[in-house]
Amino acid sequence: MLVLSRRVGESVVVGDEVTITVLEVRGDVVRVGIAAPRSVSVHRAELLAELATENQSSASPSEDAVASLTQALRERR
Amino acid sequence: MMRAVVMDEAPTLQELPVIEMARPMPGFPEDQRFALVHLDDAGVLGALRSLDHEGLQFLVVPAVQFFPSYAPEIEDDLVAELGIVSADDVLVLLIVHAGESLASTTVNLRAPLVVNTITRRAAQVILEDGSLAVAAPLVA
Repeated sequence: MLVLSRRVGESVVVGDEVTITVLEVRGDVVRVGIAAPRSVSVHRAELLAELATENQSSASPSEDAVASLTQALRERR
Repeated sequence: MMRAVVMDEAPTLQELPVIEMARPMPGFPEDQRFALVHLDDAGVLGALRSLDHEGLQFLVVPAVQFFPSYAPEIEDDLVAELGIVSADDVLVLLIVHAGESLASTTVNLRAPLVVNTITRRAAQVILEDGSLAVAAPLVA
């Protein structure tokens, strides 16, 4: 990991098209602005981690689980 | 410019032999190709099966069958990446987390699977709306 120190108002440029700017520091919260093309996704790291975990937990359910869900949905109709 | 995808009718799942992920699914960066198959006769429950890793599959349901007013916004970039020409071509699926019972089974409303049934390109889209649950009950 590259570690830099920035003051409020200063920026970091990543690659050719992404600029990260420190906008405000209030207590232990740092407000950051990210300028990037629409083709580059920007997400909070913990959201991506949560989605990865949810996908992993959802993946390849047991045959029993699939059978009982299929049956339950059929009964619902 | 954001465009909302609105479904006029309730499409059921259609089987698609090869779907290509335009973006990797969180947690599954190496799974690029999937097949979509029916698991029941009604086109309600389907399986998204990896063509890259045998045995890997996700249970999916068409969102509109369980959440009729759910209308995820699809940004222009995604429209272009998936080659979407008409909203009628789009199938919105939800990944199911099967529980011990139907009551404890959940779906990921925060990150639906958007499939262009014509180009066979798809992506699991991360929606902006923080109030959409990652594990929402499938049935009330």
